[in-house]
Parts: sequence; structure tokens; C-alpha cells
Amino acid sequence: MKPRHPTYWRSYAQLADDPGFRDFVEREFPAGASELPEGIPRRQMLMLLGASLSLAGIAGCRKPVEHIVPYVDAPEQVIPGVPRHYATTMPFGHSAYGLVVESHEGRPTKIEGNPEHPTTAGRSGPWMQAAILDLYDPDRSRRVLRLGEPSGWEAFVAAWQELDATLVATGGQGLAVLAAPFSSPTLARLAAAFRARYPNARWATWEPLGDENVREGLRRATGVAAQPVHDLERAARIVALDADFLQTDPEMVSSARGFAAGRRNGVAGGEMNRLYAIESVYTVTGANADHRLRLRSGEIGGFVAALAAELAARGLAIEAAPGARPPAGVDPQWIGTLAADLLEHRGASVLIAGASQPPAVHAALVALNAVLGNVGRTVRYPEPRDAALSSTAELSALAEAMRSGEVTTLVLLDSNPVYSAPADLDFAEALSAVEHTIHLGSHRDETALGCEWHLPRAHFLEAWGDCRDASGAPGVTQPLVQPLFGGRSDVELLGLLAGGEARPGHDLVRETWRGILGELGFEQRWNRLLHDGVLPGSPAPGATPRVGAGLPADLGNSGTGAAEGLELVFRGSPAVHDGRFANNAWLQELPDTMTKLTWDNAALVSPATAAELGLANEDVVRIGHEGRELELPVWIVPGHADGSIAVWLGYGRSAAGRIGTGVGANAYAVRTTAAPWFAGGATLTRTDRKHELASTQDHGSMEQRPLVRESTVDGFRRQPDFAQRMVKMPPLEQLIPDHDYATGYQWGMSIDLNVCTGCNACVVACQSENNVPVVGKQQVRNGREMHWLRVDRYFVSDGGDPAADPAPRAVFQAVPCMHCENAPCEQVCPVAATVHDDEGLNVMVYNRCIGTRYCSNNCPYKVRRFNFFNFTKHTPEIVKLAQNPDVTVRSRGVMEKCTYCTQRIAAARIQARLEDRELRDGEVRTACQQACPTEAIAFGNIRDPESRVSRLKAEPRDYAMLAELNNRPRTTFLAKLNNPHPDLAPAADPQPGDSHGAAGEEHP
Amino acid sequence: MAQIFPRWINKLPLLGAVAVPLAGLLAVGGVWYYFSPRYTDVGYMPRQPVPYSHALHVGELGLDCRYCHASVEVSPVANVPPTKVCMNCHSLIKRDSEQLAPIRDSIASNRPVRWVRVHMLPDYAYFDHSVHIHAGVGCKSCHGGVDRMVEVEQVEPLSMSWCLDCHRNPDPHLRPRDQVTNMQWVAPKNQLELAAAIRAERGIEPPLDCSGCHR
Repeated sequence: MKPRHPTYWRSYAQLADDPGFRDFVEREFPAGASELPEGIPRRQMLMLLGASLSLAGIAGCRKPVEHIVPYVDAPEQVIPGVPRHYATTMPFGHSAYGLVVESHEGRPTKIEGNPEHPTTAGRSGPWMQAAILDLYDPDRSRRVLRLGEPSGWEAFVAAWQELDATLVATGGQGLAVLAAPFSSPTLARLAAAFRARYPNARWATWEPLGDENVREGLRRATGVAAQPVHDLERAARIVALDADFLQTDPEMVSSARGFAAGRRNGVAGGEMNRLYAIESVYTVTGANADHRLRLRSGEIGGFVAALAAELAARGLAIEAAPGARPPAGVDPQWIGTLAADLLEHRGASVLIAGASQPPAVHAALVALNAVLGNVGRTVRYPEPRDAALSSTAELSALAEAMRSGEVTTLVLLDSNPVYSAPADLDFAEALSAVEHTIHLGSHRDETALGCEWHLPRAHFLEAWGDCRDASGAPGVTQPLVQPLFGGRSDVELLGLLAGGEARPGHDLVRETWRGILGELGFEQRWNRLLHDGVLPGSPAPGATPRVGAGLPADLGNSGTGAAEGLELVFRGSPAVHDGRFANNAWLQELPDTMTKLTWDNAALVSPATAAELGLANEDVVRIGHEGRELELPVWIVPGHADGSIAVWLGYGRSAAGRIGTGVGANAYAVRTTAAPWFAGGATLTRTDRKHELASTQDHGSMEQRPLVRESTVDGFRRQPDFAQRMVKMPPLEQLIPDHDYATGYQWGMSIDLNVCTGCNACVVACQSENNVPVVGKQQVRNGREMHWLRVDRYFVSDGGDPAADPAPRAVFQAVPCMHCENAPCEQVCPVAATVHDDEGLNVMVYNRCIGTRYCSNNCPYKVRRFNFFNFTKHTPEIVKLAQNPDVTVRSRGVMEKCTYCTQRIAAARIQARLEDRELRDGEVRTACQQACPTEAIAFGNIRDPESRVSRLKAEPRDYAMLAELNNRPRTTFLAKLNNPHPDLAPAADPQPGDSHGAAGEEHP
Repeated sequence: MAQIFPRWINKLPLLGAVAVPLAGLLAVGGVWYYFSPRYTDVGYMPRQPVPYSHALHVGELGLDCRYCHASVEVSPVANVPPTKVCMNCHSLIKRDSEQLAPIRDSIASNRPVRWVRVHMLPDYAYFDHSVHIHAGVGCKSCHGGVDRMVEVEQVEPLSMSWCLDCHRNPDPHLRPRDQVTNMQWVAPKNQLELAAAIRAERGIEPPLDCSGCHR
């Protein structure tokens, strides 16, 4: 039988080969890309050009006077020009990320993971990387406001103390606090003090994307509202049920690290882990799965029941309802194979459900994990310590009390319920019924506008604090800079509430830690803690679940009315999360890994559903749910569950700031307490309007060539060098004599597609390190995005007509500049603006570039970016502080691209020189490499055969993309391996030799 | 009918043939000289807020460069000293000097003195002091005889071609490390041999690639 080849494709437009797509990819730059943005007529532009030329002439006559402003009294240890690094901890809900932040003369510029911290272990994710931009957000509130009028902290403290006098007398009758969840020793101590001072006060903790379903499920199964902590490194079989643990989950860094370790096992000759994903929305986790089953979110409970029944039938001691039938359309053999696979890997498997699944599913998973012997091995259930955890019940009760007039004073700590609270609570109206409202927030947001007092909140890089990570390890949040806008922290405000007087956060945090570290040798241990960022110690042991409790009775029908009508699914945005990052331009412009959408949210539907309802991309639809309506453009996602509409939360802010206000539509408007995550019975009506979406999915298409190469573990064992055989190499000849690369350091990169999860951390890290500008939605639509590093996503259809494939697989490929030794871009530059250096870097000389863009035309990888406009010209002064002083800020008319972080190479080389030694392997790390949670990117000296990158390049999986063009790229890839179950392997087993090339392939 | 053009017009073509190339040459030569940093930048001597005399402090009193410019060996930038460094001596010496009033004001008000930068490189050129000092390039090679300057002035063009001259042939500028800040250093007769030894010992190969200085 002739093997059917997998087809690799980017979009339906490409499959249909529609004229629009052809036109798009055949032009180097989209039609009109060289046009000016609307608003400036050509004539006016010429006038401006003329004027600026003559002005430039005048200005050029005078030498600019620069000043040097030294310190009056230099702080100890600060050396001008040498960045310093400080450990701190970023709180994120009740999680925490250990970070090391680079500071240039007191100005934080770059965030990295803290190698000492158990959660991040030196790595980071997109949100951590982007947090630096939030610090310099010019739209952060700058002053205390009372009823919208400028006031001051002193006035607030005085007003509070006046209120406090009456509140203390009644034990806090009528006082309420609404806080965001935390897991912080100091906040917990202050919250306890607050309760002691005001025994009658009300406290509610809530966040829109909380994990209360998980804890409620655990409480039902174990009696303790614990949280699952997974050790994926020890899991050979992973089942993800609507769980996106590789991207949007708060613990994505540690999960990705564990997952990658299991993938590497397979390459090293051990057993590779196998990931089964059962989900409605096509997530990054689903794309990384060896087997993915698309199922509506409401059917997942039924799937778990069927899986439990299957396991019970195969002899597992679990009380499952016998004969629980799988949801319609699910192949019983699929469940049977999964059950057998799990039984074969008792104690080395794990089942994970996402926070959007109802408590019954989580309770069932505890039972399943327990009887499979996984508890204590691949999953633990520790209780969050020092934590306040999100509870919608508390929020509902608070809203009720507010409406009834029971609450007279409400304090909101870092919470924006007017925007994000369930629509049925009508929080804005409830808020207006409260006499005194005090809002602590970074922005004058939707909630602040309705409050009596608005207090600016300090960013975590400006404030003292502490927080525990998921494993319970406590770390200190250490400020790197004084509050830029005079903000105060949660700790300071809660300190005022709990103690009646305003005290600095530093004192409050130290007071807590005196209790933790002990009085004896406190200063020394405290300094050690500040240096390390985290207190080393053993993680808290988890609760042992009661085994044999059986499955929850309501498991099968836990989906709220999933059967009838369309299902509406709410998800946090992979970019802006619950809306807190809405004003972060890096995240708004970050192309979502699966949809490649930027600057918008959309109603995601499957192709079949779209066809049934007659929808096309960008059609605006009206989604109705329990009498509430939401209008969104449609985006068709291959592999999405049929009959399910997914919407991202976090968009449609009305008071986010100049970046985030009005971007997308607010899906919280149709989210209710009854159905916070998904609901059946949604209606969808087409309007006759279109809303343009900015998707980068067809940008930089490389068209039908074997770019991503993959095989199965078995295929790899049979033929380890399958990737190198996928292309028939023509005789390679060249006209231009070779550069000599025989001396010095020779830099090269290796990207392991087997562990690249597509999380986007590298993209944001590169943007932060290299001062990559943001261009805005319209310019993204025009194909002018500036990201030096992109993550290509290909859908893969294993045989058959790809356009009719209901559930294609997906693969990712991170594509930076390949630094070809025989670079096509260099050969066509008329002004030698792009040349090679002795260390093999393809360098871009901005000052020589005249903007012909020939180089980009000739680049087969499409990694060059052109500054069509002076994108940095209107950067607010304050945002300039976030820029890396070691990297040139580029201007209009200049080509730019990945430099292999040449500034980091130079800095390391100089440091080695000062110490009279050679550079050590691993000393130079590119920004993308340092951020990558799975260490998929390796960088180093390829002349040194012992360097990590050389060893990886020597692996048989190593291949160079488009090597047949004789470019000799310095960046090479390691082919991806899948580990499908033999019984479930797709009909077209991706054999070695298969590729997405139409021509020039070789089939052994 | 009278002639329209007088007879001397006949000389014009000849005159033009001489004058036009001459004017062209003058223009090229003028731009060559007057637009180059050697003309525009050398000799730049801005007025400083405090008339600090290097001639007095370095030339007469013999202060080492690094007493004030302390970070020069470890940092890309040779820092201008904090006001406190001035006061190390001037809290005892010349306490009432009128010229030192801005220094005393700075200490009293905790506001820094705004010195005027003399040696300016473009922002896209990333010069690193520490590595040049480590290689043995004397301060004098770029900054000139600062020990004789009452007011500091730029003596070298600091242009890219000037940088590259030394990167291509650093030999005349290399010294033993302990002589780097010595303003009186005179190159020995066997400078080229000394330089060759220094280059071999320290593995000095100044980068000539764009990425050496531009990032």
C-alpha cells in the first residue's frame, strides 16, 4: 500500500489555495505594505519631509550638549554601566514565580527566572517576561483620587482613621474586603489581624479565572480543599482533560519542564511519555498531545465516567457505574486503549483536569489517580498555605450584602469586579449601593471609576511582599525601584486596615519573617533570603485521599445542559489572561500559538459548525446566553470541538488604558455564576457585519517544503537519521568563496522541536531583550509585525483531504534568523548592510541600510523585519525606561532581525577577557534560550565539540531547514518525535521519509 | 548690426574648463576637511559647571585617573565621580572657594552636578573602557594629555575610521598594564617588540567586524 503522506498546512486559505492567499505569500510584503498609514495624505507627507529635511540641516549645525549626571553619594556596590541582578518573586494568584531581574542603575529592564526557585528554575513564561512593561505602563494611576478629584495618601489615611474609629467600635459591622487570591505569609498574617480587629467584617476573595472547581473537587474527594501539584517528570502517561497545563495554566513553567523531561527520555532510549488530550478548545497542550480527542467541555464528565467504567471492567478497584457509555461519537476503542495504557503504567501516570471542569470531574480524578497508584508519585495534594482562595460564593454573598445595604464600607484589593464579575451579580449596581468604597488598583479601571477612593497600587517590582509558590516554598518580593507613581502595595493597605496606622511594607514583611526565620541571626538569614529570593526547604506533603470512595454520582451529567444546543465555553486569554494584562502591548500583539490572532478575541468554532451555521472568518455573530448577548467576530479553528463556541475572557476593557481599551469584546458580559466556564443552550445569530481580525498565520509562509520534520519513537528507533533523509540534497556548489570559520568562537543554535511546546515565552523574551517595537493591529494585518522570533504553527493531516480533516494534529516551530554561513540576504544587499562577522553571525548594520528590502526578498526563512515606520518615535518617555540600553533602537526605513543576542555575546566576551580566560560553554545565553521553560533552545560555540550545542547538532535528529539551498544555516532543528499508541496510530503512520515536500523527497 | 556678444566671451569656455573642476575640487576638499570629526569635534571644550582643572589635580598633585574615574577597569563607562569624592578632600581644603560653590550646593541639596560630556560617541557605538584598559591601551591614547588641560577638550576625532586605525594596528598604543594611567609614559624604543609580546600574552585581536562595537 502506498503510504499516505501527512499534509502540513497553515490555514484553510492555504489549502483552498485561494487567490488571496497566493497573492499574500507571493508578495514579499503585502499589497500596500509600503503605503503610509491612513491619515497622512501624500502631499502633506512630502511637505513634512521637506520641512524636516531643512530643519535637520539647521539642527545639524549645532553640536548637541550632553550632560553627565553622577550620583551625589554613590550607593554601595552600584557600578555605573554594569547591570545588577536582584532576586524577587512575582505573585500570580496563589502561585508565585521566582525571578531574577536585571537593573541598570536602578532601572529594571529585563526579567528572567530564578534558578534557585522550585517553580521557575531559571525559566519563565510570557506573562513573567511581559511584566516589566507593566511596570512602565504610562496609564497606571498616578495619584490618590477621591470622587475623581486629586487627593493624597495623607488625606486618605486621615479619612480612614476617622472611619476606623466608628468601625472598631462595632467590630467592623458593615465593613467588607474584596481581595484577589494570594498565598502570602504577610498578607495572611495581616488578614488574620484584620479579622481580629473587626470580627464582624466580611471578607471575600475572588478572581475571575480562579481554580475553585479544582479545590471543591478535592474537598469532596479528600475532605481538604487542597490543590493538585503534578510531577510530570515521573509521569509516563498523561491525560489532560480540558487542561492546558503547557500554556495558560499558572504552573505552565514547571509543567512544561516535567513534560519535556518525559519527551527527552524517549530520545535517550528510555520510555517516552505519552500525552492524551481530551478538550474542546484546541490548546497548545492538545497540539503537543500524541492523541487528541475533541469533545465538548460538557461531555468530558461523561468521558471520565466511561473511562472509569472501562478501567473497572479491566479490573481496577474503582466503583464506577457499570456500563457508563462514552459521549456520542467517541470511539470505545479509544477509551479502551487509553484504559489499558493507564493500567500498564500504574504509579507512573497522571490524569489532569483543567480548572474549567466541574468539581465532580476533579473529585473523580482524585479517585482515579489514587487507585492507579499515582498519588504521592506523579501528583500530590498539598493544602495551600497562608492563602486566601477565590470563591464565587463569597463574591455572590458580598454582592447580596452590598445590595441590601449591609455593607457600608468596601475595600477592594487589586480586584476589578465591575469588569470581570459574573454578569448576573451586576456588581456595578451593587457597588453604587455602598457608602464608602476604597479601591486599590494599578489603573483607574472600570471598578475605580465607581469608587469613592482610588488608591494607586504599586507594581510587584516596586513593593515589598512575599508569596508561596504551588509547592509551598515561600519567597520574598523585593522591590527594585521606588514606586514610580507613588503607589502603595496590598501589604501596606492591609497593614493600615489591620493595624490602624500606615506602616511601610518593608517593616510589615520583615515582621512576618522574624516569625519564620527566628530572631536568632535574623539579619543574616534575611539577607540570605533576599539574595536567594526563596527559602529552601522541603515542600509540604500532600493530603492522602480517601481511596475507594467511588466516583461522584453527578459525574456523567456534570456538564450543565451540554446536550442541547450550542455549547459556550469561556477561557482565559493565552495573552492577556483575565484582562489584567490588557494594557500590555507586548501581550496584545503576541500571536496566539494556535489561532495566530493578535489584538482581538473571537468566537472560535470548528469548521463543521461554521459550515452548518453558514459562518466565515471575521463574520460578526451575536452570541446569546440566558438573555445576555455578546457580539464577536468568528474565527474558524481546525480541530475545535463541533457544536461548541469558545470565547476568550480578558478583552473588551472599557478603562484599561491607551493600549487595552476597546480591544476585542467583553465576554464577561455573558458569563454567569451558574455557568462560569461553559454552558449549553447558547444561541448564535449572524449579523451581516464583518470585523477585521489581525492574524499572522499566513505571514512568512514557507510553502510546502519539509520544514518541520517528525516521526514516531518507533520510526526513530528504526532509522535515527530520518530527518536528514527527508530531502534529497542536490549537488551543492557556490560562486562566492567561503568565509573562513576555522578560528575563534563560532556561534550556533539548536532548537529541539521535540520539546518546543509553543508557549510563546521566547517571543516575548526576545521582544523585551531586543527593544522590538509594537506596531498595532492595523500594521499586523498589513504583515508588518516586528517580532524577531516567531512560532510557526502547522496543522498536520495524516492522509486524506486535509480540508475535510476534522481533527488535524498541530506542530510548532520557533523560527529566528538562521544565521546562514552562506547567507542569501548578504549576497543581494547593494550597500553591504548585512554582512558576516568572524564568529559566524549574520550581522545587520542599521546605519548602512537604505531599505531596499532585497535581503528580505531573498531570505528563504522570512525572518527579516522592516521598519516601515518610525515605530519607536512615539514611545512614551516612561516606556523607554523598559528598553535595553545595550541594544540599538532602530528607526524607520531600516531592516532588522535576530542578532543571536550579539550584545550578550559581547558582554560575556568582554567579561571573559577581563578575567583572562576563554568563554565557558553556557556562559552566553540568548534571551529566547534563557526564557524557554523546556530548554528547547541551545546556543553556544559549535567549534567546541564538547559544547551542549555541538553535542545536540551531532544527534541524528539534527536537520537544517532548507539545507538544500546551500545556505548552511547556523540554527538547526532537532526533529520532533511522537509517541502514538500502536493501537491508535493514525492510518498514515508518519514514516521516516514522509514530509510535507511535494518535490525532491526521498523515500527509503 | 553690432555683435550681440563681446569678444571676451570667447574666453569663457577656457575659464570654465579651469574653474569648474577647481570649484569641484574645492567643494570636495572642503567637505572632506570641514565635515570630518577631525574639524568639527576635535577641540570641543565645553564650559563645565565647576572649573575643575585636570592640570592641577593630575599634572601637579599627581592624582591617579582612577581615584575619580573608579569604574574604568570594570565597567564600559569611566564614571564621573559622585560629589562625595570631591568632598573627600574639599571638606578640608579650600572650603570657602567660590569656584567650589556648586559642589557644596550639590552636597547640601543632594542634587547632582550636571557636568558636560566632552567625549561623545553615538548611541549605537558601544565602547567599553574596561576591556581597552585591560588590553593595555593608555588613557592618553584617546583622551590626550589630560594632565596639562585646565579645561578638558577633545583631542582625537573619535570617528569610526580613527577607532579602526587602532583596531587594525594597536601596537603603538599598547603598554604594560601598570602604565595605562601614566600620563608621562613615553613609548620605549622597542615599542613594537613590547607590543608584540603584550599581544601574544593577552591574545589581543581587536575586532574589525561591525558586531565588535555595534549591537
